[in-house]
Amino acid sequence: MTITLRTEALNKTYRRKIRKPGFVGALKGLFSGEEEAVQAVSDVTFSLARGERVGLIGENGAGKSTTLKMLTGILVPTSGKLEVLGFDPSRQRRQLASRIGVVFGQRPQLLWDIPVQETLSLLRTMYRIPASVYDVTYPQAVERLDLGPLLAVPVRKLSLGQRMRCDLAASLLHAPDIAFLDEPTIGLDVSVKEQVREFIRDMQQRFESTLLLTTHDLKDITETCDRILLLDRGKLLFDGSLREFERRFATKRRIVVELERPASDEVREQLAKDIAELGAELVECRAHRAVVVYEGDGAAPALTQRLLSRLPVSDIVLEKSDIDSMVANIYRRSTISTEKSVA
Amino acid sequence: MTPTRPSALRAEFATFFALFSRGLRSNFAYRPALLLAMLSAALSYAVPMLVWRHIYASGGGSKAVPAQALFPYLLLAGCLNFGFAMNVESRIGQRIRMGLIATDLLRPVDFQMAQLSQALSDGIANLAFVLPVFGVACAFWGKSAFPHDAAAFFAFCASVLLAFVILFAVSFIFVQATFITYSSYGVFVARNALQQTFSGMSAPLALFPAGLRAASEWLPFRHTIHTPVSIYLGWINGSAVWAALGAQLIWALGLLLVGRYMLRVSLLKFEIQGG
Repeated sequence: MTITLRTEALNKTYRRKIRKPGFVGALKGLFSGEEEAVQAVSDVTFSLARGERVGLIGENGAGKSTTLKMLTGILVPTSGKLEVLGFDPSRQRRQLASRIGVVFGQRPQLLWDIPVQETLSLLRTMYRIPASVYDVTYPQAVERLDLGPLLAVPVRKLSLGQRMRCDLAASLLHAPDIAFLDEPTIGLDVSVKEQVREFIRDMQQRFESTLLLTTHDLKDITETCDRILLLDRGKLLFDGSLREFERRFATKRRIVVELERPASDEVREQLAKDIAELGAELVECRAHRAVVVYEGDGAAPALTQRLLSRLPVSDIVLEKSDIDSMVANIYRRSTISTEKSVA
Repeated sequence: MTPTRPSALRAEFATFFALFSRGLRSNFAYRPALLLAMLSAALSYAVPMLVWRHIYASGGGSKAVPAQALFPYLLLAGCLNFGFAMNVESRIGQRIRMGLIATDLLRPVDFQMAQLSQALSDGIANLAFVLPVFGVACAFWGKSAFPHDAAAFFAFCASVLLAFVILFAVSFIFVQATFITYSSYGVFVARNALQQTFSGMSAPLALFPAGLRAASEWLPFRHTIHTPVSIYLGWINGSAVWAALGAQLIWALGLLLVGRYMLRVSLLKFEIQGG
């Protein structure tokens, strides 16, 4: 297993000026040098092997973009060790740049006033892309991302979705060893997102690139990654496979029951007691629907038996939490615990 | 295969040339704006010319610079000043403010040289607009607007190129302040004020008060307008031309190096804006 990227106790602290609100605050700010320290990334340690597909997730302000900026060399860590493809990113930024591809979803990288094709050919010269690579990556990008009609259009005339597709093509044209994609599907509609994910998968597989992707759309992760890094307030909360992530965080499961007729109050009360004995909770039992929530493996058969014996069941569905609700749950728990510790 | 040094240099040069040619195309995408800027500049140069003309016609002026030398000087100085409008502060400043500099720094090219290539494309685009104006004005002023001799013309061309690099390097240094100020406007105003005052754009340095003239000797700005125009008009001649070109070269290289060092420090010390 070849390690392509390694961080050890990585830290980044920003110094931020304290600005008070209002006009008077703005005036005071001209003369006041008050600052506060913001710990954006705290003791983050992980490594990526060649060809790994990793999703970096976390709430807004969790430190994802800061981490990515340090990995690509445009931000210097406050402390800690960092090595990407054998380079120290901030000291050897130019050497590293020729071997990585970066998309910052919120920062266009194409030349604004000239047609897309011109930027792509400029990048070919800039990255010294050999014909053997360009002859593969260029047609594939044009075909998979449907760029044909856009090539002659000046970038400023493209829609957000069109520009993102072109940005992605531009960043992967040189078949980088590592692709850092910061929110590559931000603001895109469902069909374009699908197109983008498919393209990322194809390019990654073809060139065995290592992929590190940040996103708030967790479908990006489930469809393109095998491993998750979860950041929370600058700290690495989880590092493991998607399966491990589910095992650890998908603790809550649901049984949804469709009823032939509404249950009486008496039945409802009895059922609630019955399933409470099995460690579950009847969270809903109204009209033609009942929902039971439980944690842990192995409880489903006994619960299903109780439900079938007490209720006039017409249909029954067992649901696991999806990744969105798992992550939402983690964020919620983390916010509550912070509020408690502050109180 | 590791590329040999000459082929690496060739590839580097090809990249800068590609940036230059794309920059040129970008510039021509805004022809109407460029034309408007040129007309405004022509107006702002015409007014001081008329003022000077009035001063000289009414018996004022200076014996150090006779009228027939002053007006070609002002014309050429105005044309150079327009040609040197290279948008370095607004372009780089805006990218620092919005955090877009991140995408520039993630390219495998030297950031300063890439910006110089783009600035050169600004200069060449400006030249396309200013040359016809200069041609018409030459027809009006006659022989006194021509270069002193052929050697002066070639030395002038070299001097203009060096002047351009000096002005770029000064702007590159000034724009780094945007890492602190987050706005390039004040930076541009400050650099422009110094440039307009000490370059000899509004009047030959011989007409300056002694104090200002002495200050200009210690600053690089005189080499952006006064030196090339003086070479063109033959005010600097003989071996003094080589000395002037040498001084320009030293300023250009020195300022480029200072700019590189400052960028390195800025990137270590400051953060790229935006998440």
